[in-house]
Amino acid sequence: MPNYAFVGNSMPRVDSRAKVTGEALFTADIKLPKMLVGRILRSPHPHARIVNVDISEALRVPGVKAIVTGQDVLQRKWGVFSYTQDQQFLPSDKVRFIGEEVAAVAAVDEDSAQRAIDCIRVDYEILEAVFDPMESLSPTAPLLHDNFPQNINVHVPINVGDVEKGFTESYYVREDTFTASEDSYFQGEPYAVAARFDMDNNLEIWMPNAGPHMKAKPLSNALGIPLNKIRVRKITIGGAFGGRSEIAPADLICALLARKSGRPVKIVYTREENSIATRQGHALITTIKTGVREDGRVIARDVTCYMDGGAYSSTGPIAVSVPFLCMEQAYKMEHVRYNGYRIYTNKPPRGMIRIHGRAFACGVDTQLDMIGEYLGIDPVTMRLVNAREPGEFTNTKSHVASCAMKETITKAAEKSGWNDKWGKLPPLHGIGIGCNSVQTGFPMGIRGGSQAIIKLNEDGGATVISGVVDNGQGNDNMLVQIAAEELGIRTEDVQLVTADTEVTPSDPGAYSQVSTFIGGHAVKNAAENVRRQLFEAASKILNVKVDDLIARDRMIYVKDSPDTSIPLKKVVRMILAQGKSVSGQGDYWPKVDPKREWVKNPFGQMCGAFSFGTTVAEVEVDPETGKVTVLEVTAAQDVGFALNPLVLEGQFQGSIAMGGQGGILTEGHVWDGGSVLNPTQLEYKVPLACDMPKINTIIIESNDPEGPYGSKESGMSIAMSAAQAYAAAVSNAIGVYMTDFPLTPDKILEALQNKVEGETPNQDEGVMEKGLELMVPAV
Amino acid sequence: MNKQPLEITINGESCSLAVDSNRTLLELLREDLDLTGTKEGCGEGVCGGCTVLMDGKPVRSCLTLAVEASGTHITTVEGLAQNGEIDPLQQSFIDHGAVQCGFCTSGMLMAAKGLALNNPHAGKIEIINAMSGHICRCTGYTKIIEAVEAVVDRSKEKR
Repeated sequence: MPNYAFVGNSMPRVDSRAKVTGEALFTADIKLPKMLVGRILRSPHPHARIVNVDISEALRVPGVKAIVTGQDVLQRKWGVFSYTQDQQFLPSDKVRFIGEEVAAVAAVDEDSAQRAIDCIRVDYEILEAVFDPMESLSPTAPLLHDNFPQNINVHVPINVGDVEKGFTESYYVREDTFTASEDSYFQGEPYAVAARFDMDNNLEIWMPNAGPHMKAKPLSNALGIPLNKIRVRKITIGGAFGGRSEIAPADLICALLARKSGRPVKIVYTREENSIATRQGHALITTIKTGVREDGRVIARDVTCYMDGGAYSSTGPIAVSVPFLCMEQAYKMEHVRYNGYRIYTNKPPRGMIRIHGRAFACGVDTQLDMIGEYLGIDPVTMRLVNAREPGEFTNTKSHVASCAMKETITKAAEKSGWNDKWGKLPPLHGIGIGCNSVQTGFPMGIRGGSQAIIKLNEDGGATVISGVVDNGQGNDNMLVQIAAEELGIRTEDVQLVTADTEVTPSDPGAYSQVSTFIGGHAVKNAAENVRRQLFEAASKILNVKVDDLIARDRMIYVKDSPDTSIPLKKVVRMILAQGKSVSGQGDYWPKVDPKREWVKNPFGQMCGAFSFGTTVAEVEVDPETGKVTVLEVTAAQDVGFALNPLVLEGQFQGSIAMGGQGGILTEGHVWDGGSVLNPTQLEYKVPLACDMPKINTIIIESNDPEGPYGSKESGMSIAMSAAQAYAAAVSNAIGVYMTDFPLTPDKILEALQNKVEGETPNQDEGVMEKGLELMVPAV
Repeated sequence: MNKQPLEITINGESCSLAVDSNRTLLELLREDLDLTGTKEGCGEGVCGGCTVLMDGKPVRSCLTLAVEASGTHITTVEGLAQNGEIDPLQQSFIDHGAVQCGFCTSGMLMAAKGLALNNPHAGKIEIINAMSGHICRCTGYTKIIEAVEAVVDRSKEKR
C-alpha cells in the first residue's frame, strides 16, 4: 500500500466550516439587486386540456413585472433520450398531473405574486384520468401522450440464455409478486432557482443540482440560446439522492421570467411543491420467478416489472433498468429474462432515486429467503452460493474487475453475530440480510467523461477547475484530497472552481455514483500532469531523474535521499520566470461500451467498476402496535478504496437511514386519485434521531484496478442492501414473508392476524400472487 | 398592513425595528436582516431547520411571529461564534463529520446549543430527544449525536 499523505485518511470536510457558521449560501439565500419573487400556478386537475389562459387581470395587479405561460416557451419537448422527449415545460396543450406548471408570475414581493397567481384564469377541458399503471395499459384507458400507445413510455426487454430451459432443469421454482408505493427524496433543501440575464443576454442561474452541465444543455435548447451563454453557477446544495440531475420546469420558468421582466427572479418551492413538482421514485409491481438447484444456486430468473412512471419520462427510463442491473451484478444467474415497463399515469413524474426499485430489490432477496427456507438453507449461505465473484461477467456482458461481495457477506454476518442469532431469536425478534451492487455510472454519450484543469500559483497554491458538483456527499473535499495528494501540497493550498458551466469543462454530474470514479479521476490525471511539469524542472535543478522525485508537504524530494529537496513554490517560480505557466489538464473517460443502449442494445460494458455491499438488520416487532424497533444494523461495503473513512461512515449511516429505516418502515406516498395525501414531512415520515439503531460500519477494500487509488462507490449500494435487510428482518421476526413495501404497522398487524387465523389472503387487483401460503395481501 | 415597533436583541446587537404584524421571526431574520444561516425547510414547524434561540431556548422561527420576539434576545447560527472563535459545538460538528449537505446543520446546532445551555449534564438519551425534532436526510444522525455528546461530555469534565 502506498504511503499517502491525504487519501485514505479520515479528514473533516473542507466545506463544513462554512456550513456550521451559516455562511454557506444555498439558492434560497441569494439576494440580487432588483430581484423579483417568482411563483408558479399549478394545475388542479390530473388530466385536462388547456383551452385558454387569461392573464389580463393578473397583469394589472400592482407590483407584477412579468407573467409567462405556455405561449412563452419554444414548442419543444424535453426528455433524456430522443425517444422519450415528452415534456414541454409550461405545456400549451394539456396538463397531465395535479401540480403541473401552467403559468408563472414575477412580482416585487410574495404577496403581489400570489395575488397575481390568483387572478390568472385558466379554462380547462377536463379529460378522463388514469392513476393505476395496470389500468393505464388497457386499450380503453385515456392516452397521456399521443405517440406512446397503451401509455407505455419505455419497455426494456432483456433475454439472456434460455430461462424456460433453466426452469425445466431447476430443482425448485417459485414465482412471487412484490409491490411498493412511490417514495420521495425529501432533500433537506426545498427546490429553489434564481436567475438573471446580463446585458449581453447571458443567463446566470443558481439551483440545487446534481450536474450543472446536465442542466445547462437542455436549458440552452429550451431557451434557444447557445450553451456558452448558460452559466449554471456553483451554490451550496441541500441534497439530491438521485434527484436534481435533470432540468426542472422551474429552471426554465425562472429564466423566462427573468428575461421577460429584465430583472433577477427567484423561485423558492414550498415543501409540498418539492414533493409534487420535482420528482418522485417509482411505484413498482414486480413479479419474480426463480429456479434453483438443490444447493440454492439460481439457474434461471424471469422478472417482469411494471413501474408507475407518472406523467412524463424525466430520468425514469433509466430507472427501469437500474434495479435489474443491481441484481445481475450482485447475483449470478445462468439464464435471465427481464421485461421492464414504465407506464404513464396522471401522477407526478418519477425518476432515478437512491433506493432503486424497493419492490424489485427487496423482492429478489425475500424470495431467496423463501427458497432457502424450502431447501433448508440459511440466508447467508443462499447469498454466498449466488454471490458475484471477481473476474466474472454479468449476464449483460459487463466485466467485473474487482468484487468483494463474499467478503461483505461474511464480515457483516460475523459482526452481527448471525450464527448465534439466526433461528435462535425469540418470537417477534428477527434478523435479515440483504446484498446489493451498484454501478459507477453508465454509458452517457458525450457527457460520459470529465475534464479538469489545474494551475499553480507562484506561492505554491493550486486552483482546481472541475465540473464535479458537491450536493452534500463531500465531493469538494474528495477533489481537494486528490489534488493535494498528487501535487504534494496541503489541502488548505487547494482552491476549487467547480460546478460552474461558464468555466468548468464538461462532467457527467454527481449522480449514478460517478463523481469520484470519473470526476475525481480527471482531477488526479490533471494533477499528475502538473506534477510532471514540476518534476521536470526540479530534476534539472537537483540533477536527478524525474522518476526519482516525490512531492510532499510543499516540497519536492529525491526519493531515498530526503535531505535533497527544493520547495515546491521555488520550482513554480523558476518555471514562471522562464515565461511558462505551471498548469495542465487531465481527463478521464471510463472504459464503457459506447454501443450499449438501454432499450435497443442492453449489452456490453456498463461502467468502469461495480461496488458491492451487504447489510444485516436485527429487529423487534411489537405485536400490539405493529411497530418495528430496529436493534442493530451492520453494513459492510466493498468501496474499492476508502478515500476518506470519516465521510464513508457518514454515507453508510445515511444510507441505512434512508434505505432501511425510512425506505422500508415508513416511507411511501399515499394517494387519493392523482392527489398526494402526504406531501410534507408532517405526514411522510422520514427517520428521526430517536428512530435510529446502533450501526456498525465495515469498510472493505478490493482495490479496483481502474478506480482512482482503487476506489469505487459508496453512496447507494448500502441504501439498497439496507432496504433488503430491513425487509428480511421484519419478515423473519413475524414469520410472514412481507411483499408490499413500506412495512408500516398496519400491514404488519394484518399479517400477524392473518397468520394467526390461517386465512388465505385476498388478492390485490392487478397483482398476481401464486402458491404462497404465507403471503399477505398487498394493501 | 400597520408596522409594529419591535425592540429586539439579535446576536448581541440591539435593534429597533418596525415589522408587519404577520411577519414571522424567520422572515425577519432571513429577508429583512440577511441572516440566511437560519433555513426554511418546511414552513410548518416540522423540520427544525429554522430553529433559533430565544432567551436561550430553542424556538421554531417559522412558527414565531416577529412581534412575539419583542424584548427578547435571539441567537442565530451566525451568533454562535464568539470573538472570532467558533463555538465548541460547531467545531465538534466539523471534527465528527456531522455535516453533509449542511441544510439542517444550523437548526441542529441551535438545538444542541439550547440543550448545552439548559441541561449541561445531558446524557445520550436526552441528547437524542433534544435532536429528534430535527430532520436530517443525509447523515442518519449518528455523527450528529456523537458531535453533541462530545461537547456535553467535555462540559461535564470541567465540573
